[in-house]
Amino acid sequence: MYPLRYMSSFFVSSSSVSSQEAIQLDGEILFALLKRVSPVAHRHLKKHKIDPILYMTEWFMCAFSRTLPWASVLRVWDMFFCEGVKIIFRVGLVLLKCMLGSQEKLKVCQGQYETMELLRSIEPRYMQEAFLVQEIIELAISERDIEKEHLSQLRRWKETRGELNCKSPPRMHGAKAIMAAEPPSRQDLKQHPTIIVEVPPTTESKGKKPKKTKTEKKKDTSPPLNPYPLPNDPTLPSDNLSPSESEHLQKDTPLQGSNQSLSSAEQDTYL
Amino acid sequence: MQKEHLFKVLVIGDLGVGKTSIIKRYVHQIFSQHYRATIGVDFALKVLHWDSQTVVRLQLWDIAGQERYGNMTRVYYREAVGALIVFDVTRASTFDAVLKWKDDLDLKVTLSNGKPVPAVLLANKSDQSREGLRSQIPKLDTFCKENGFVGWFETSAKDNTNIEAAAKCLVEHILAYEENITNNTDPDVVALPGYNNNTKERVRTRCVTCSKF
Repeated sequence: MYPLRYMSSFFVSSSSVSSQEAIQLDGEILFALLKRVSPVAHRHLKKHKIDPILYMTEWFMCAFSRTLPWASVLRVWDMFFCEGVKIIFRVGLVLLKCMLGSQEKLKVCQGQYETMELLRSIEPRYMQEAFLVQEIIELAISERDIEKEHLSQLRRWKETRGELNCKSPPRMHGAKAIMAAEPPSRQDLKQHPTIIVEVPPTTESKGKKPKKTKTEKKKDTSPPLNPYPLPNDPTLPSDNLSPSESEHLQKDTPLQGSNQSLSSAEQDTYL
Repeated sequence: MQKEHLFKVLVIGDLGVGKTSIIKRYVHQIFSQHYRATIGVDFALKVLHWDSQTVVRLQLWDIAGQERYGNMTRVYYREAVGALIVFDVTRASTFDAVLKWKDDLDLKVTLSNGKPVPAVLLANKSDQSREGLRSQIPKLDTFCKENGFVGWFETSAKDNTNIEAAAKCLVEHILAYEENITNNTDPDVVALPGYNNNTKERVRTRCVTCSKF
């Protein structure tokens, strides 16, 4: 249901208990990083005993799709898919810094409830696409910072709450890392079409035969072939079909890849 | 002088029983057919002018229905003084979950005297059940007694049935407990709302007394 299922490479969870642990752990990591980004905001949240899960659960589980205006969601997801989970942390840190980052701002939210209300109604100017993206880029929180904090929070967790139910594999930071770790195999590249259109009877192709030579000669100058050819497609001679089909198999790989991640994302572990 | 109370009240129950709808109806007087799962926790504030001397501010904590699994509820329940536990009259499984929610609540939060926080049971979506629960009333009465609910109400967020009544029932019990606590403690250390005014007056009186001597 939620787009975040795609991000199973960051959370990897098999039950709702372990996904809750994952979000709590990420909350602790976010809070620890906040100390560096905005000590004022960190102190305020600590003073009022505002547990990270009270404000960041929806942010992280929905990858900000319920928080930010749509234009900003698209930019953030773009960066997130490309650069990895650090983007999600950075957005959270930027919003916390902007909303709670100075004594003046904190004057209006003296209390736990007031602070949580404030974080539920983030000022539009901080979420505006151009502003937000610039802030995300400039925020000096790297993958290594997150990994380091992940390890130390994991250690703290084990000391205070015992073993985790979910043993999370290392996070993949961005598309490049995912592709490098798991290059698509030959098997992945095979198409599994759900709609199969029958190839028209050969009598029709016989009728077109005289035209075939013409189209082949013109091939170089004509626009590129339709990568998803219809059986009746005039530019594709029917006896050419099988070799061109195998060609298309390879052309279609990115699409196939995204189809597969979508279908594996259907198990909604957060619900 | 006006007394002001601030109470944290939890609204809990299984997924899709109508917790958010009840709060929306109670606080914003709106109802929507559109379902949108709560993620984590949501909040709303309802201000009640209880009587000429009392204002009650209810912080309603809308806890996502899937949160009973795991230990996050401990964070959400902290410092709560009352709860509305909701089930859906059209789905028996949500009633079966009521006791699990009640146990989870009693396990993770208690009043300052160690007793369980007052909880009211809400049989929601009454607009969708044909005969209602009228035949079940004696059963639910004993169910509430046996399981420590202070009362139960057949509610509908859609038709705005009994939601105010259920909240009123809960607030009465919370206030009764508060008064009980106040009466049982040393009158010298009672921290009443308007405490600052009192101290000022006391200081002034003392000063006047001092200057007399």
